[in-house]
Amino acid sequence: MTSNVNTSVQPTKDTVPEKKERASSVVKVLTTDRMWLLVVLIVLLITATAIADGLRLLVAPFTVRYLSVSLIALVPLALLALAETFVILSGRSGIDLSVGGLVSIAGMFFGSMVVDHGLSIVLAAFITVVFATLLGALNGFLVGFLGFPPLIATLATGYAFSSIALVMHDGAPYSDPKLTGMNELTAGIGPGALAIPWHVVTVLLPVGLLAWMALSKMRWGRSLYAVGTSDSAARYSAINQKLVRASAYAVAGLLAGITALVNVAQFASARPDAGTAGNGLALPAITIAVLGGVAIAGGVGKIGGALMAALFVTWMNAIILIAFPGSFGSRVQLLALGIVLIGAVLLNQAAARHQAT
Amino acid sequence: MTHTPMDTLTVSTRRAIARERRTLIEGQELVLIGVIALVWLALSFATNTFWTAGNIQTILYSIAPIAIIGVGMTAVMVTAGIDVSVGSQLAVVTASVGLILKELQWGIVSTAVAALVIGGLLGAINALLIVKGNIHPMIVTFGTLNIFRFVALQIFGDSQIPGVPGTFSFIGGSSAAVTLGIPNAIWLAILLVLLQWIYMRSYSGGRHIYAIGNDARAARLAGINVGRKLFLLYLSVGFLVAVAALVQLGAGGLVQQNVGLGLEMKVIAACVIGGTSVLGGRGTVLGTLLGALLVGTVTSAITLLGWSSELTNLFVGVFIIIAVGIDLLRQRRRARL
Amino acid sequence: MANREVGRDSAILNADGIAKNYGGIHALKGVDFSLSAGEVRGLVGENGAGKSTLIKILAGAEIPNAGTVTVNGEPLVLGNPQASLAAGISTVYQEPTLFGELNVVENIFLGREIADGGRVNWKAQYQKAVELLELLGLNPKLAGQTVADLPVGEQQLISIAKAFATDVKVLILDEPSAILSGKEISILFDMVARLKATGTGIIYISHRLDELAKITDSVTVMRDGEIVTTKPIVGLSTRTIAELMVGRELTRAHATSVAPGEVVLDVSHLAGGKALQDVSFQLRQREILGIYGLVGSGSGDIARAIYGIDPPSAGQVRVCGKEVQLSSPGAAKKAGFTMAPGNRRRDGVFLDKTLTFNMASSHFDYFSNKFGWMKARAENDVMESLMVKLRIKAPKPTTPIGALSGGNQQKVVIARQLVGNNIVTILEEPTQGVDVGAQAEIHKLIFDIAADDGACLVVSTDLEEVRTLCDRVIVMHQGKAFAEFPRGVAAAALLAAASGDSEGAEVEES
Repeated sequence: MTSNVNTSVQPTKDTVPEKKERASSVVKVLTTDRMWLLVVLIVLLITATAIADGLRLLVAPFTVRYLSVSLIALVPLALLALAETFVILSGRSGIDLSVGGLVSIAGMFFGSMVVDHGLSIVLAAFITVVFATLLGALNGFLVGFLGFPPLIATLATGYAFSSIALVMHDGAPYSDPKLTGMNELTAGIGPGALAIPWHVVTVLLPVGLLAWMALSKMRWGRSLYAVGTSDSAARYSAINQKLVRASAYAVAGLLAGITALVNVAQFASARPDAGTAGNGLALPAITIAVLGGVAIAGGVGKIGGALMAALFVTWMNAIILIAFPGSFGSRVQLLALGIVLIGAVLLNQAAARHQAT
Repeated sequence: MTHTPMDTLTVSTRRAIARERRTLIEGQELVLIGVIALVWLALSFATNTFWTAGNIQTILYSIAPIAIIGVGMTAVMVTAGIDVSVGSQLAVVTASVGLILKELQWGIVSTAVAALVIGGLLGAINALLIVKGNIHPMIVTFGTLNIFRFVALQIFGDSQIPGVPGTFSFIGGSSAAVTLGIPNAIWLAILLVLLQWIYMRSYSGGRHIYAIGNDARAARLAGINVGRKLFLLYLSVGFLVAVAALVQLGAGGLVQQNVGLGLEMKVIAACVIGGTSVLGGRGTVLGTLLGALLVGTVTSAITLLGWSSELTNLFVGVFIIIAVGIDLLRQRRRARL
Repeated sequence: MANREVGRDSAILNADGIAKNYGGIHALKGVDFSLSAGEVRGLVGENGAGKSTLIKILAGAEIPNAGTVTVNGEPLVLGNPQASLAAGISTVYQEPTLFGELNVVENIFLGREIADGGRVNWKAQYQKAVELLELLGLNPKLAGQTVADLPVGEQQLISIAKAFATDVKVLILDEPSAILSGKEISILFDMVARLKATGTGIIYISHRLDELAKITDSVTVMRDGEIVTTKPIVGLSTRTIAELMVGRELTRAHATSVAPGEVVLDVSHLAGGKALQDVSFQLRQREILGIYGLVGSGSGDIARAIYGIDPPSAGQVRVCGKEVQLSSPGAAKKAGFTMAPGNRRRDGVFLDKTLTFNMASSHFDYFSNKFGWMKARAENDVMESLMVKLRIKAPKPTTPIGALSGGNQQKVVIARQLVGNNIVTILEEPTQGVDVGAQAEIHKLIFDIAADDGACLVVSTDLEEVRTLCDRVIVMHQGKAFAEFPRGVAAAALLAAASGDSEGAEVEES
C-alpha cells in the first residue's frame, strides 16, 4: 500500500530542519519500536502508582517487594506470549489458539509420568517438553505442510488437547508430594525486599535470552522473518518455507510445555484445566504478543517487545489489585487489558499516518 | 499475425458450463447433510433414546443460540473478518436483561427492545473500532472480549442473578415452547438463517459481502461502500447476540457469571464446519446451521452413549479438521486447473 | 501546451494544474492533460515519472493537492472512486481486480447490479453480460464461469469488459498487456478499436513501446512529475519515445564477445508445469541463453521446473555432467542454480525488510556459522560493496527495500544472485516494470555475470531484450522448443517463430 508512493522522485532540499528532527526521532522510536514505548509506559505506571501511594489512595502499600513478588504471574504469561510471537511472526495469519489446551494436556502428561509411572521430576519434565513439542509440531504439520488456516487448525487441536486433558485422569488433578515439592521453584530469592521468584531467573530469563538469540541473531530467526514477510519470496530464496513455518508451531509447543511445568510448580499440582479455565491462557498470550508489537499479518515483531508487554501487563494487573479493592480489582484487570491492547494499536496507526504525511 | 479472437478461449470454455445462477446447495453442505444423516442413523441403532422427541428438542434448543449468532458471524467471516467478542457480548446482554426482567419486571416487547439496544451498542463499538479505527478485527474483538466481560461482571456485581422470571419462555427450552415438534427457538433461528441466506445469495448487498472478502480494496474501487457494509455487519452481530441472549434467558431461573464463556469458539467452529473460509470470500449461513447441528448432535450422542461429556470437544476438533481438510483438497484441485 | 489548446475543442476529459505531493516529494508538479472522444492516448514515462499518480487521481483513488478535472465540461469531485465512476471514468489496473469467488456476470455488474429493490435480476444480468462479451469479441460462454477458475490472461480481458459495462467515457488501461499472451493482446487491441469506434477516450499506459504505434493515436510522455510533450504517434520511433522518456541519449549495452567455455548445464527432454512438454538444450560457461515465448508457451515453466518451484515431471538435468534431482528450490540451489523470479513484488522482494535482508535471503547458510549464528557484519559489508558495484540508489544497507524504485529493487534481487558460488543464474523477466535507464544497467550486469565465468539462462517475453542480450535464443511454441536463433536475429523472425511460423527462422535447430 505504501509502495504506491512514487519513491524514485527525489525529495526537495528544503525538507525538515535539524532541531525538529532530533525531537521527532524520540517520538519516532516510541511510536515505531514498541519495546521502548512499553518501557516508558512501565515507568509511567510505577511513577503514578508511587504518587498514588504517597497520597494514600491505595488499599495496600506499594513496595518494591510487591512488584517483585508479583512477577510470579509473569512467567507463564511471558512464555506463552513468546510462543505466540513466533507463531504470529511466521505469517499466513499465524496464530495458536491451542496453547491453553496444550498447557493442560502437557501438565497432565507430566503429572501422569511422575505420579502414575514414578519417573523422576527431571526425566518427566524432559519427556513432557518433548511431548509438547511434538503436539506443537502437529499444528505445524497441519498449517505448514497441509495448508490449514492457523486459526482453524489450532482451534481444532486446542479443542482436542483440552478435551483429552479433561478425560485422561477423569477430570481430577494429579497431586503428589513430588509435585508439591516443585513449588520451591517459585519461591522468592534475593535480599529481603527483592524477593524475585526463583523461576523468573532460572526459567524465564534463559528462555527469553535463547528466544532473542534464535530470532534476532540466528539463521532460523532470519528464515522465520523471511517466511512471515512473504511466503513466495522465501520460496524463491530457496528457504524451506513449509518446514520453517511448521517449526514455529513446534517451538510454540515447546514453550507451552515449559509453561505447563511452571504451572504445575506454581499450583503444586497438575490440573486438567490449567490452560483452559476461564478465558484460557491463549487469549491473554495473543493479546500480549500483539501489544508487544507483533503484526498480525506476520513478519514483524521482536522478543523484547513481547517480554516488555508481558511485564507491563503483569505489573498493571498487580497494581490494579492494590488500587481497587476486592473483586472489582480483578474485573478492572480485564478492562485495562482490553483498553491497552486497542490503544497500543491505535497509537501505532496514528504514528504510521503521521509518517506518511 | 491474424488471430480470430475466439480461438484462444477454447481451452477454458471446454470446462465452461453456461449457467445463469449458482447452484442451490454447495458441496460442503451436501457432505454435512450426509455426515449428519449417517451419525443420526448410527445413533438410532446404538441408542433407544436418540429419536425421542425430548432428545431431539434438547439438541435443537441447545444449538439455537449458536446458529443465531452464526448468522452474523458467517457474514463477518465471509468478509475475511472475525468477532471473538460474542461470548462477552452475550454475557453483557444476558446479565443486563436478566436484571431488567428480575428487578424491573418489564414486558416482552420493552425487554426485547432493551436487549437489542444493548447488543446493538456493543456491536457498534466493535464496528466503530474496526471501520473507523481501521484496526484488524481480531485485535479489536480480542480487546472488547476483555472489556465487555468487565462490563458484564460489573453488572453482575459480586453475585449471580437467581430467579429470573420466564418472560421469554415461549422461545425457551421447555417442552411447551414447541411448534410442530420443533422448539420455537429453532424456528426463530431458521427464520433468521433463511432471511440471511436469501440476502447473501440473491441481493446485491449480500453479494457485495463476498466481493469484500475476495478483495476489499478492489470492492472499494468498484464503488462498494466497504466501510458502511462492514459497520453494519459487525452491528448485526450485536443484534443477533441480543436475540441469542433472549433465547438463553427463555428458560428463566439462574444466570451465572460465566455465561457465554468460550461461546465465540463454538460459533466459529460451527461456521468453519459449515464451509465458511476464515480467509474470506466463501461461506453460507445454511452451512453454519448444519455445522451447529452437527456439533449439537455429537454433544448429545456422547451423553447418550454414556461417554464422558468432556470428549465432545475432541470430536468437534476432529470434525473441524476433516471439514477444512475436504475444502483444502477442493481448492488444491482448482489451483491445478 | 499547444496540444492542449487543440484538444480543448472536442475534449471529453480535461485536467488542469494537477499537483500531488507525498511528504516532501512532488510526484506531480501541476500537470495539464486533456483527451478527446474516440482518441487512444499512449501515456509513457519511466517508473516514478508520475503516470500512476495521474491515473489514480483521475480514478478517484488519490486526492490531488491542487488542480481540477472536468469530464465533458462537468467538474469532477476528486478523491472519490464512486464519483469518478459515475462521471464515466473507468480504470483497469495492471493486475486484474476481479473477485475470484464470484462468476463473470457478477464481476461485470459488481457495484451496479441490475436489481429490483436490492434483489438481483440474474436473468437480465446474464443476458446483458453475454451481449457485452459478444460485442467485445469474447466468448459468451465465459459468463457463467467462476473467475478463480479462469487463466489470468482471460481474467484481464474480463476486467476490461467489466470497465466497458458502464456508460464509460474515459477508459484508463494501466499496462493491460503486461500479463497477456500474443493472442490475448490481439483480442485486447481489437477491443480497444471497438471502444474507440464508440467514441470512448482511452488512456493506454505501457512499457512496451512497440505497442504504441499499433494502437494509439498520440503519445504523452511524462518525466519527473511533468508532461514533457504530447505528440501524434505517426512518425515517432520507439527510440525517440524512449529518449524523450529518459531525457538523454540511450546507449545499449553491447556484448563483449567472450568465447563460451565448457557445457555446465545439459537439459534433455524436460517437461513440467502447466504447458512445458519437451525441451532440450545445453548452456555453456560464459554464455547467455535466452528463452523466448508467448505466455502459455511453456517458456516460464522451464525456469520454474529447473529451479524446483514446479519440479520437472519428466526429463533429465545435468549440471557439469552430473545428473541432479530438482525437487525443491533448496535442491536446485545445492545443484548450483540461483534464480531471480519474474514477479518481483510477489516472489522477489521482502518489501518491508532491509536491503541487506533482501540480498542475504537465499544465503542465510552462507552468512552464518555452523551453529546457525548470523554474521551480521559480513552481511552488511557485502551489501555495501554490492550497492557500489551495482550502483543501487539507496541511502544505506538498512533502508527498507520498499522505499526504492522498481529498478533499484530489481538490482537488489540481482545482487542476491551474485553471492555464493553459483553455476547457473536463471533470470526471469529481468527488466519487467523497470525504467529504460535501469534496464541498460541490468543488462550490463547480466553480461558481467557471464563474462565472470558464469552461465545465464534468461527467460523473457521482451523481444528486444532477448535479441540484444542473449548469445542464443530458444523460441518456445506449444510447450516445445520450436527454433533456435543466434544473437541479433530479426525481431520479426523471433515473433514469427513464437507464433509457430517457421518461415522466418534463419537457423533452425531442435
